[in-house]
Amino acid sequence: MAVLSVRDLSIRFGGLQALADVNMDVNEWEIVGLIGPNGAGKTTFFNCVMGVYTPTTGSVSYRETPITEMPTHERASLGIGRTFQNIGLVKSVSVMENMLVGQHLKARYSPLAGLFGLPSSFREEKVLKANALEILHFMGLLPYRDERVSSLPYGIQKLTEIAVVLSGDPDMLLLDEPTSGMRPEEAHQFGDLLLKLRSELNLTVLMIEHHVPLVVRVCDHVYCLNFGKLLAAGTPDEIRNHPEVVAAYLGTEE
Amino acid sequence: MAIDLAHARNLMPLLDEGKPDARGWMTRRAAAGLIAAFVIITPILPGNLPIASWVGLGMIYVIVGLSVNVLIGHAGQVSLGHQAFVGVGAFMGALSTTRWGLPFLLSVVVAAASGAIAAILLGVVALRLSGLYLALITLAYGEIAEKVIFNVPAITGGGAGVLVNRPAGFESNVAIAYLCMIFVGLALFLDWRLMKSKAGRAILALRDNEIAARSVGINTTYYKLFAFVLSGALAGIAGALLAPWARSVNAATFDFKLALTFVLMTAVGGLQSRAGIFVASAFFAIFPLAFNQFTIYVLIIGPLLLLLTLIQFPGGMGQQLRPFTNWLTGGPFSMKREHAGISSGGSGGRP
Repeated sequence: MAVLSVRDLSIRFGGLQALADVNMDVNEWEIVGLIGPNGAGKTTFFNCVMGVYTPTTGSVSYRETPITEMPTHERASLGIGRTFQNIGLVKSVSVMENMLVGQHLKARYSPLAGLFGLPSSFREEKVLKANALEILHFMGLLPYRDERVSSLPYGIQKLTEIAVVLSGDPDMLLLDEPTSGMRPEEAHQFGDLLLKLRSELNLTVLMIEHHVPLVVRVCDHVYCLNFGKLLAAGTPDEIRNHPEVVAAYLGTEE
Repeated sequence: MAIDLAHARNLMPLLDEGKPDARGWMTRRAAAGLIAAFVIITPILPGNLPIASWVGLGMIYVIVGLSVNVLIGHAGQVSLGHQAFVGVGAFMGALSTTRWGLPFLLSVVVAAASGAIAAILLGVVALRLSGLYLALITLAYGEIAEKVIFNVPAITGGGAGVLVNRPAGFESNVAIAYLCMIFVGLALFLDWRLMKSKAGRAILALRDNEIAARSVGINTTYYKLFAFVLSGALAGIAGALLAPWARSVNAATFDFKLALTFVLMTAVGGLQSRAGIFVASAFFAIFPLAFNQFTIYVLIIGPLLLLLTLIQFPGGMGQQLRPFTNWLTGGPFSMKREHAGISSGGSGGRP
């Protein structure tokens, strides 16, 4: 059973065909890479999967539930977690506060119970904080818990965002360029983290990534987009040697 | 994901790391108690000045400041029509006591509900518009409320307004001041709990990045309206207190100048800073009353404070008070200048 299954997805913005007939299957426990030159439509694809945009045609389903029309916040409750290219954290508050934002769906008390300070909200907040500490510990981010996000180095902010998404208990992650702003060694360590996420937390991962050594090392499957069309799909080695992929990235000799 | 709760419990002491010991807390409580005691005795200070009356209005403005702060500070929405919410609260509160004979406490509930409804109408607009366009709509909303709705003779007594009796037992200025103080306590409590619970965090998240907020499961439509409802309800409560304080409600009170004062005092106080907003709102209420023979000072001081805030202290008075408030809430006392409370606060960061 595919975790995420996308069929004939197309979206058009005025005269621009941003995505055309894209098909994709992501299976359980796979780490799938999505690559492509700038402007190929990778982030647009994520936005369609998350419901930020409604596709012009085509369908998206998650564990065989059709979600093409579902509002974004409900998709989160199905277990899809997403990170952003430019970091979707609340920058003016601490890492810990952000970890609590990430657990919004886990806080079962009603917003009014929280507002009036009912005992149930205090009890639950304590559990949320314990969860947050546990995940920060797992991600090696405990020392930063009280730092304001905007004062942290970019790479740490990227990892914090993943920790925040993890705090919401997803079973699939959509990562948008997780290693941008990281040095090659950090990117390599990030690969270890991804494998650990899969083996210890049973996560399925779809990531947009430009760092070729990382993609080749951790991905089971790679899709390559170019000008909104799926150019190639296959194992990392197949993609690396695919003549059209090479041409799209490096240009061809005419 | 399986959380190892046994292990998480081992990590819990980390939350108290860097917090003061029992003696540290004692000193802090004593300091907080002294400040509270000072505020509490202000209405009964001896002298010929009508201090109790000033304090009453000061407390009403503090509630308005906290109400404006929910929208501009927490939710990053513009509000240039806040006087309309206060006005709706004032008229509804006045009508429910004078015409329908409701007891005072119930009239506060009616005022809070009507303020919330008035705000939700704007909230629905805010779901579709933002920034300058929303600012213009809120401005127009306030103007329409003042010039049209508050002037319907059948409801509001037209230009003459409504005369209001003070609730039984609260006829004196001192009693009214204490009544207002109790509601300030309630408003401070609500703001504190809001920001420590999921609704407040959802509102912060949607201010910074709506799409990111949605993708962690936050229903941004719901929580944006939640912010408007809370803000409107607080403004309505302030209105319900303003009517008996002034003994009358009059449409002309709720003009655009009042809306500007409300935004001004919240910005000078410092967005998202309860302490700063308390000080600045009380100041902006009391200063014109105390110096009403010298209107010229009032006209100069307010804008001057705003300029200082914009140029030197974007965090407002809250920023200057921060070393002390940090210490009060269990942090160290440090004069180290940090960023203003709001660094990336969305469109409403600077009015």
